[in-house]
Amino acid sequence: MNFSETLKLALLAIWAHKLRSFLTLIGMIIGVMAFMVVFSLLQGFNAYIDEKVAGIGSNSFTIMRFNFIDYSNTDKLAEAQRRNKELTFEDIDYLRSRMQVIEKMGAKAGGNQRDIKVGTVIMENVKIDGAEPVIGVIENINTRDGRYFTDAENNNSVRVAFIGADVADKLFPRGDAVGQEIDISGIPYRVIGVQVAKGTIFGMPQDSFVQLPIKTFGANFGGFRGSRFLYFIGTAKSDNLFKDAVEEARTLMRIRRKLTVDEQDTFAIFTPDAIAGLRDSLFGTTFIVILAVPAIALLVGAIVIMNIMLVSVTERTKEIGIRKSLGARQSDILKQFLYEAATLSAIGGLIGLILAELIGVIISSLFIPTKIPWYAALVSIGVSAVVGVLAGLFPAWKAARLDPIEALRAE
Amino acid sequence: MENQNGVSEPDQNGAATASKTLISMQNIWKTYQMGVEELHALRDVSFHVEKGEYLAIIGPSGSGKSTLMNLIGCLDSPSKGDYWINGNLVSEMTDDELARIRNKEIGFVFQTFNLLARATALHNVELPLIYAGMRAGERNEKAQAALASVELGDRVTHRPNELSGGQRQRVAIARALVNHPSILLADEPTGALDSKTSAEIMTLFEKLHSEGNTIIVVTHEHDVADRAHRIISIRDGQIEKDERIK
Ligand SMILES: Nc1ncnc2c1ncn2[C@@H]1O[C@H](COP(=O)(O)OP(=O)(O)OP(=O)(O)O)[C@@H](O)[C@H]1O
Ligand SMILES: [Mg+2]
Repeated sequence: MNFSETLKLALLAIWAHKLRSFLTLIGMIIGVMAFMVVFSLLQGFNAYIDEKVAGIGSNSFTIMRFNFIDYSNTDKLAEAQRRNKELTFEDIDYLRSRMQVIEKMGAKAGGNQRDIKVGTVIMENVKIDGAEPVIGVIENINTRDGRYFTDAENNNSVRVAFIGADVADKLFPRGDAVGQEIDISGIPYRVIGVQVAKGTIFGMPQDSFVQLPIKTFGANFGGFRGSRFLYFIGTAKSDNLFKDAVEEARTLMRIRRKLTVDEQDTFAIFTPDAIAGLRDSLFGTTFIVILAVPAIALLVGAIVIMNIMLVSVTERTKEIGIRKSLGARQSDILKQFLYEAATLSAIGGLIGLILAELIGVIISSLFIPTKIPWYAALVSIGVSAVVGVLAGLFPAWKAARLDPIEALRAE
Repeated sequence: MENQNGVSEPDQNGAATASKTLISMQNIWKTYQMGVEELHALRDVSFHVEKGEYLAIIGPSGSGKSTLMNLIGCLDSPSKGDYWINGNLVSEMTDDELARIRNKEIGFVFQTFNLLARATALHNVELPLIYAGMRAGERNEKAQAALASVELGDRVTHRPNELSGGQRQRVAIARALVNHPSILLADEPTGALDSKTSAEIMTLFEKLHSEGNTIIVVTHEHDVADRAHRIISIRDGQIEKDERIK
């Protein structure tokens, strides 16, 4: 019997035992689904950290006042506060005037939440921050409408605002945000640009913000104290100079702060590598463990299929006898049962994949963007079919080896 | 005509008949182990069937007729003795060769029909053609024709449980004939049929026989046995009589 003939037979048998097939499928569906959901979550989480946390562009580094460990307890933080001075515009000017391998350096400040008013419409708790115009290049900011700030606007503390897509859509539903005024704490700002929508990350909307030229921000929000601290973002002249650029920033900062060789940094530099390293140390081992759980579910699915196929062989002994009496070879019977098992589990895998995709869409809209890479989808279908073949092998072999007359006598 | 000891015959005829001998059974025993006791379903059975013979096997219930048919049909193997089909020793054939014989050479009408319960009449009849590797279109046509020849052309989509006993028997006959086997083995083929259908089936068998096919039929009905050209009577697993009547 050829392939399509046998496949048709397998599908007919699966259809003829609908309930049993469905119950068999559940094992496979749950296995593949759990595996794919966890896998896509991990993928999404990795991508999230790579792109968003470390990110702003994978080739940039950030200079901040405090390091991660400084936040570990209040004593450490108090000590760090004494030791690490705030970053200032003089610092960044110093860096900019001396840098060789650093390509660009820009300052940002932020972290305030304010209500924004346009006429009678109020949008509450919108994140407000300030940035130098060069940040638009460093962070590769894409504008949907209008433009980013200019140096002139920043230097003169002009009250202009670059806003997120949500803010634009909420306050100016007609899409004419650019050129209009928004009111923050009683002060009007003119909208000059709208960013391309970025969606949500961990349930946090990324498009609900207002960004001001950093000097405008400083002038109108009471300087760069507390949560409005300054921090710098830098890029290297080329990818292979990245390490040198980071090193240059560190050295220049140390010189500026007159640190001796045995004194530690009084600032912190974050690189994507450092953050990815942190992620790997967090998730490296858990990654395996997290994947092991759905892998076990998959294994259980395989055992269910093997069981059902064994039952099916026993139940269909008579059928096997009839087929053999009419000229079916051992290989025909073997193929019939193998195809049935493989088709069954491939269908289960496919349904599991579709469900995983749906769950992924929900997770993406609520938490972090998840993504099932095409190769993972192929692998999971393949793996479930192989699992099906392996699970079906023993029952199929048993069926193929049956003595025709013994099989015919079965009731 | 009576021949208690079938072995002597081919020895006498020698090589002359060897080319025409289709079935040759030599001292065949079929023994079932029932606990400590041995049950001999066939005891030392020997006979030969030439190509194109029309043979009836008769005997009381439990005498071993079905057991013998299963052996002839290569579905079962003897406990002792040799069985040649077409000059080949069955015990030395590979599984694939046996499958090919069952598929191409033998059409078997079982006493209990042995139809696939979940499949339609048409699919049941198609089965031997599927294993013969025939394409779907041609297969469908042949199966339709075979069902029409047993007057079930209007029942092709019925499943066995939607057919009467006689209709099921006719599906089984259509299935046995569809692949044009050279040997037709029929175990009580008219058991569930009325006399009219019965007569039609017997006419069909005669037609097949006249076309040169070999027919072996188990029956307890005399008018069925009388259509044959030779009758073997079995009792307690032994050949009691082997007579040529035509
Ligand atoms: N698998 C088996 N195990 C044990 N004994 C068996 C088996 N098959 C058949 N027998 C015995 O062998 C004997 C012959 O059985 P068989 O089916 O050949 O009879 P039969 O002549 O076809 O009878 P009927 O006319 O009723 O069909 C019977 O006594 C039966 O009980
Ligand atoms: Mg019988």
